[in-house]
Amino acid sequence: MGVRLLVLVVLSVALMVVDARFTLLKPVRSQMSLVLMQSYWITDLPQRLWQGVASQFGSRTELVADNEKLKTENLLLQGRMQKLAALTEQNVRLRELLNSSALVNEKVEVAELIGMDPNPFTHRIIINKGERDGVVLGQPVLDARGLMGQVVELMPYTSRVLLLTDTTHSIPVQVNRNGLRAIASGTGNPERLELRHVADTADIKVGDLLVSSGLGQRFPAGYPVATVKEVIHDSGQPFAIVRAVPTAALNRSRYLLLVFSDSRTPEERANDAAKAQEAEQNGEAPPIIPATVPKPAAPVVVPAPAPAPVATPVAPAVNAVKKPVPAPTPAAATPPAAAPATTRERQ
Amino acid sequence: MASTRSNNGWIIWLTFAIGLLLSISPMPQFMEILRPLWLALLLAFWTLYMPHKVGMVTAWCLGLAEDVLYGTLLGQNALILTLITFLVLSLQQRLRMFPMWQQSLVILVIFGLAQLAQLWLSALTGNRQPTLALILPALVSALLWPWVSYGLRGLRRRFKIN
Repeated sequence: MGVRLLVLVVLSVALMVVDARFTLLKPVRSQMSLVLMQSYWITDLPQRLWQGVASQFGSRTELVADNEKLKTENLLLQGRMQKLAALTEQNVRLRELLNSSALVNEKVEVAELIGMDPNPFTHRIIINKGERDGVVLGQPVLDARGLMGQVVELMPYTSRVLLLTDTTHSIPVQVNRNGLRAIASGTGNPERLELRHVADTADIKVGDLLVSSGLGQRFPAGYPVATVKEVIHDSGQPFAIVRAVPTAALNRSRYLLLVFSDSRTPEERANDAAKAQEAEQNGEAPPIIPATVPKPAAPVVVPAPAPAPVATPVAPAVNAVKKPVPAPTPAAATPPAAAPATTRERQ
Repeated sequence: MASTRSNNGWIIWLTFAIGLLLSISPMPQFMEILRPLWLALLLAFWTLYMPHKVGMVTAWCLGLAEDVLYGTLLGQNALILTLITFLVLSLQQRLRMFPMWQQSLVILVIFGLAQLAQLWLSALTGNRQPTLALILPALVSALLWPWVSYGLRGLRRRFKIN
């Protein structure tokens, strides 16, 4: 009995170390989850059945009222959308003038929550979209009102999402009113985020909306994250204590949106831009640009119609401005290529 | 004899499957912290009364399944459940003689130790629980032990599992 215990303990410790350090066990885990994750679906079944029954027996007047409400809401949103299209176009054009690539609409996909993490000390949920649906590690997850979290574990047909309020999670944000940057950390309380290291004199007020800043390259910029609930200036503390409430209904939302943004890393993005520019400079023929640039961009566009299409019209603009300044010899081809690379990286 | 009676062994596995479901079933927020260690309870019962069928290897496999479900490191819960089973097995002769309340007390101590080991392991991976509330599941499990025990004993007698 003692020998068996020893073997099993050693085996578990070895498994833990391997699982923590290497990716060797990922296929094993995903194979096991293929079967085991069904149990989350089973435990969700009563809820699902209840919803089905409730919708079956929903009274007609209720449905009509619901329909009416949705129709008005839809009308309002459509109205706002009309303006948005024009504004987006304008924004893109202005950004082109400023030589920076804009974030165009990201593609989203609806996922459904199928389970909560049983451990009460972590805030994680399980959703019904996985690797086979094109979900990637680190992908941002939204609900109708704001950011919820990011994907931390991929399984074939399900994935695990770490919520903003988990104690191990932090997200770079900025105040929507004035662009003040900060980092919002989870506290383990589903209704509270904390801004760390905010200067006592910083211009931040109760009621300010915090949006994701896009720094950190994980979350797309501009999605609402939280509203500031209280700001405490304690003269005994080096920093102000700022508490915020997440705008997303972290513990109530059942339908979530997965955001598919540009899957390339900033380095790859910069490299692609630099390569495109080099190719263009070597060729020295403007008509080739549109032919060469969309080629690397085309496979990327499928999951992400993000900055890629916008970056292409920008590249010739950069060149048109910069060509007269340095010597147009091939030897000077590298500096102008490097310059836009760094600016892209910062976006 | 074994061939005629052991065909009800699937009942054991059914209880384990139900245990797995119970250990991930959704609960209200305030009750999550009190969630009993269902798998550990079932393992304790079956190792106590059928040590020839359910042992540490079973516990280890179930632990791996729990790891996949919980998203913890592979082997973490496996290690904990193996330890629990080992302790129950080594106290088995005495535990079977004990009255129910005394069994509950021993279960409380064993599960408490296991939860402390769990805290230690999860601290290693950076998910440190902020409070000692993690002892609560052990307490709830110990309170549930008499009911689980009576229920499973009835089940065992009914289906003649041995």
